[in-house]
Amino acid sequence: MEKSDIFLQRSITREDVDAELWDDISDAHLDLWRSTWVPMIDQTRRRLISAAVPRHKWPQDLHWNWGEKTDWSRPLLSLQRFAITCGGALQGLMLVNLTKLTSRLPSQKGKDLAYIEFVSTAPWNRPEISGVQQFQGIGINMVRAAIELSRNEGFHGRIGLHSLGQAARFYSDTCGMSALGPDRHYDDLDYFEMTPAQADAFCHPA
Amino acid sequence: MEKMWTGSIIHVYLSHDTINTMAEKRTMTLNLTDAEMAALEDLAAKKDLNKTVVIRQALRLYQMVDQRLREGKKVFIEDEMTKSKSELMLL
Repeated sequence: MEKSDIFLQRSITREDVDAELWDDISDAHLDLWRSTWVPMIDQTRRRLISAAVPRHKWPQDLHWNWGEKTDWSRPLLSLQRFAITCGGALQGLMLVNLTKLTSRLPSQKGKDLAYIEFVSTAPWNRPEISGVQQFQGIGINMVRAAIELSRNEGFHGRIGLHSLGQAARFYSDTCGMSALGPDRHYDDLDYFEMTPAQADAFCHPA
Repeated sequence: MEKMWTGSIIHVYLSHDTINTMAEKRTMTLNLTDAEMAALEDLAAKKDLNKTVVIRQALRLYQMVDQRLREGKKVFIEDEMTKSKSELMLL
């Protein structure tokens, strides 16, 4: 397993903090997910139930089981896992599929892309769960990792994903991806793609 | 009379470690007939990929389909216009 040095930003002070991007999800990462993320997620679920918050207003990834996703994907060549750690804590997880979809954008139609199946940020980085945000930059680093994977695999930086409603603006505004609208084959989730040119612009902003 | 093989040879770089993106690659020599090489070159051109990547993608897809079938799932190809489905059978 390889790691790359990256930076996250501490939300309160805006200072850069050293972090690590791992090109797999290890058993140690899963232990951290179970011992640190799951209790906070369970607490959030109980709070939402007791407050009678309708389910469609819950954080949409509360039920994701990263243990199952990791175990299922490990033997498969199509699936690549990533983790981000900082200060010994698990900050983010991602699963990318290299064979799920080909590009739908007219200029790229039918060409291969790296499809982000799932990406999650630690509960303490999500104000809607913990009320605070310790670190920023997990999503941006994960998108960058997917672009690098796409380039390494010969896909020229093309990536795609279906966005949960709560994250759609991040992919369009922050990442500069093309919005292709709701996908009726995928629970009407908004579908986004990044072209090679958009990937270059994202990685090397003017 | 012994028939001469008239196909093509390409070198394919396959990952030594299936998990690691940056994994060390191993080289194998792949002998293809002219028709197979033509199909490979056609796919590479259409998909904007090099030939090694096409073969690696084919291996990933084949493994994924095989896994789904072994899980008891079915793989269908749907006609976008008519919505008719045909099951992909791998024996």
